Amino acid sequence: MPPIVRSSRPLALVGAAVAAAVLAAPALAGNGGFAPVPPESPNAQGIHQSYVFISIFCFAIFLLVEGLLIAFIIRYRRRNRPRNADGAQIHGASRLELAWTGGPVLILFVIAAFVFAKLPGIQDVPSASAGNQNLVVDVIGTQFTWQFRYPNGVVAFDTMRAPEGRTVELHVTSPDWDVIHSWWIPALAGKIDAIPGRVNKTWFRAQRTGVFQGQCAELCGLFHAKMLASVEVMAPDEFDSWLAQQQQEQSAGTGPLGAEMWTATCAKCHGPSGEGDYGPKIAGTALVSDPQAVEQVIRNGFGAMPPVGRDWTDDEMTAITTYLKENLGG
Amino acid sequence: MAVSPPYEPAIPSWQRGKVASWLVTVDHKRIGILYLGTAGLFFAVSGFLALLIRTQLARPDSSVITGNSYNEVVTMHGTGMVFFVMVPVLAGLANYFVPLQIGAPDMAFPRLNALSYWLYAFAGVVFLSSFFAAGGAANTGWTAYPPLSLEALGNGQDLWILSIHILTISSAVGAINFIVTIHNMRTRGMSWMRIPLFVWSVEVYAWLLLVVLPVLSAGLTMLLLERQFPGTFHFFRPEGTDAGGSPILYQHVFWFFGHPEVYIMILPVFGIISEVIPVFARKPIFGYKAVAFSTVAIGFFSMLVWAHHMFAVGMPTYLNIWFMLASMVIAVPTGMKIFNWLATLWRGNITLETPMLFCLGFLSVFTIGGLSGIYLAAFPVDWQVTDTYFVVAHFHYVLFGGSMMGLLGGLWYWWPKMFGRFLSERIGKWAFAFIFVGFNVTFFPQHLLGLSGMPRRIYTYRHDGLWEAYNMLSSVGSYVMGFGFLLVLLAIVKSVNGRRAGNDPWQADTLEWYTTSPPPPHNFDDVPYVTSARPLYDLRRRLEESRA
Repeated sequence: MPPIVRSSRPLALVGAAVAAAVLAAPALAGNGGFAPVPPESPNAQGIHQSYVFISIFCFAIFLLVEGLLIAFIIRYRRRNRPRNADGAQIHGASRLELAWTGGPVLILFVIAAFVFAKLPGIQDVPSASAGNQNLVVDVIGTQFTWQFRYPNGVVAFDTMRAPEGRTVELHVTSPDWDVIHSWWIPALAGKIDAIPGRVNKTWFRAQRTGVFQGQCAELCGLFHAKMLASVEVMAPDEFDSWLAQQQQEQSAGTGPLGAEMWTATCAKCHGPSGEGDYGPKIAGTALVSDPQAVEQVIRNGFGAMPPVGRDWTDDEMTAITTYLKENLGG
Repeated sequence: MAVSPPYEPAIPSWQRGKVASWLVTVDHKRIGILYLGTAGLFFAVSGFLALLIRTQLARPDSSVITGNSYNEVVTMHGTGMVFFVMVPVLAGLANYFVPLQIGAPDMAFPRLNALSYWLYAFAGVVFLSSFFAAGGAANTGWTAYPPLSLEALGNGQDLWILSIHILTISSAVGAINFIVTIHNMRTRGMSWMRIPLFVWSVEVYAWLLLVVLPVLSAGLTMLLLERQFPGTFHFFRPEGTDAGGSPILYQHVFWFFGHPEVYIMILPVFGIISEVIPVFARKPIFGYKAVAFSTVAIGFFSMLVWAHHMFAVGMPTYLNIWFMLASMVIAVPTGMKIFNWLATLWRGNITLETPMLFCLGFLSVFTIGGLSGIYLAAFPVDWQVTDTYFVVAHFHYVLFGGSMMGLLGGLWYWWPKMFGRFLSERIGKWAFAFIFVGFNVTFFPQHLLGLSGMPRRIYTYRHDGLWEAYNMLSSVGSYVMGFGFLLVLLAIVKSVNGRRAGNDPWQADTLEWYTTSPPPPHNFDDVPYVTSARPLYDLRRRLEESRA
């Protein structure tokens, strides 16, 4: 016979700690992470509703199973019976077993039906109307930067600007020479992978202005954790004037594009002021004062450095080389 | 081990030494113990890596392990736990107990059995050696998605591939051995509807290994070729529009293996639960056939759901719908099992000894892991939660709260049979308390982290009150859990002088309890004719009747 230690202390401890952990959490903030980030776009809204709908069933099943488990343990524990006394010798009950096979099938059917009903609103890009054209933005993930290319040629890095209330269609990809990334702004929709060699589409229509945070969600190497992204949603006319101003500045070579590129692309590895971090120190070296040499390195890569700027336009290349020469040159 | 000389075949003297006898052994029980011990070492290594991860993530902007080192630790933790802990530890238990439970003297191919253990040990050496490779260990996650895994510098990734290559051969050989043993070596009277449920689960485990491992080997071979001969082979890198391959192809190949792999790691544990719960509730399993056939159904459907890991890659909608529905179908046989186990408790005479505590703990947390799977199957919701800490929480609820907890139950249950002595009940109960609490404190908050936007596999995160609180909580929980495992180790060490167990300390129902503890070479002098799925229960009843 095994030693029988009838101690309920560990069990009581278990219960108390779990209860404390579960109850303390939601008190901290908002929905406390018990539901996805509050949605700010119709497709994120559809996902949120599906989440809540599934949760109703999951919570009910959870209560049922854990309730039965605890009730049975209490009700049918040994108490004063001899340890080896038989319990009821029941081998099964076909009807009961059919019930807990059929029940879940029914529940899953209902869940699937709800999700499929929500699917078009989540997946399909709303078609443009005469007064409200969709804005198409190419989203390109590279190690470890997000590039956003607007129809008029404007490019932005890591922070996307978008107009409120207008459908923004995103064509998400990654260059052939790069790796897989995943585009994700939780408030504005689910993830879509940025995959070399293919273009995936997603969309959002922001319902209010503000800055929405997100980051790359597919392990993409060394600085995956630093591949942050945000979408700044502006009032429509504010956005239009921002876009026009950017176009003018970027073609004229004035404006902060070089600094943006430096922060998004170079500084993650070489340190905020080029003092060296994972990558070598570049501030004050002869290289940064030589635009042609810089272009060579940026377009082709060098050692462990990926060819971050292989596909940058000449304007963009000028912006970064000028920035480097002016700010880091010796 | 008690060995009576007359039954021992002639063994050359050099093979009789304390060490040599283990090196040359072909006894399924010794090989089983070798498997368990080696997997235990890998658990210590991979568990230590897990604590490193939690230490780094306790606060944002920590610098314990960052960048590539962090990616290496994440990769080696995941790969270690999946390939070098869970699968082999189950192979070890199955090695020890399948022949005993079916009344056989050994596995069908004892030498092949030894080969599969030694290949595993060798694969383990190759795996660990990658820590010392130029450029460090593999750092692209246990999934090793190209193009990232093609670009990884140094030889860490290559050693990772080779170690898994060797391991797949080991597992395939072992799987064949299990299948042949179960099909051909059952004792008299043990029809398919009378084999223990653990054996049913090992049967399905072995078939799954046999079907999906070659696919993994093929995928990894392609990866290795493309890494070594980049110009010649392009399966996965999309260079150019016509000549190039597709990185998505690798994901299909990997997950065709990867999803059944999850069931390979959990089905034998379902088997353990189906053994332990009836014994400690003093009842037969509720619905033997339903439990057995649901195992087969889960095994079958597990091969039809792989791309639910890939909903975010932009598959056509009809494929998304197929993989969503197929994934949901698996919930049905899994739910059947949970309700059958619950019904086994109903009107029982439940004793809460350590094996039962762990198995009931399994039941309570595995349910959560199953339910969170429904969110991941519904692909629009998956777009929100995939690749976040929600997924990390989900699969730890399945594989840690599920597999590992059930495995500990099996360890406490079968230890007396393996070594003739009990693991301490007192330490066992405390270990359970620490592991159960620590587990939930570690992993429950991770659901919430994922839902609030934290991706997985990042070494630092935004300063955000909620994220900082949950991460800290999770890290604290991981230490509590770590302490629980130190208690497990203590129980194992102390069992050397533990209470002696007789042949059948738990008054259990299956044949392994008919022989001595530990069993002699070749296990049985005679085996009773099997008339039901509970031969020892029948035997006890007949004895009582003859006494009356």
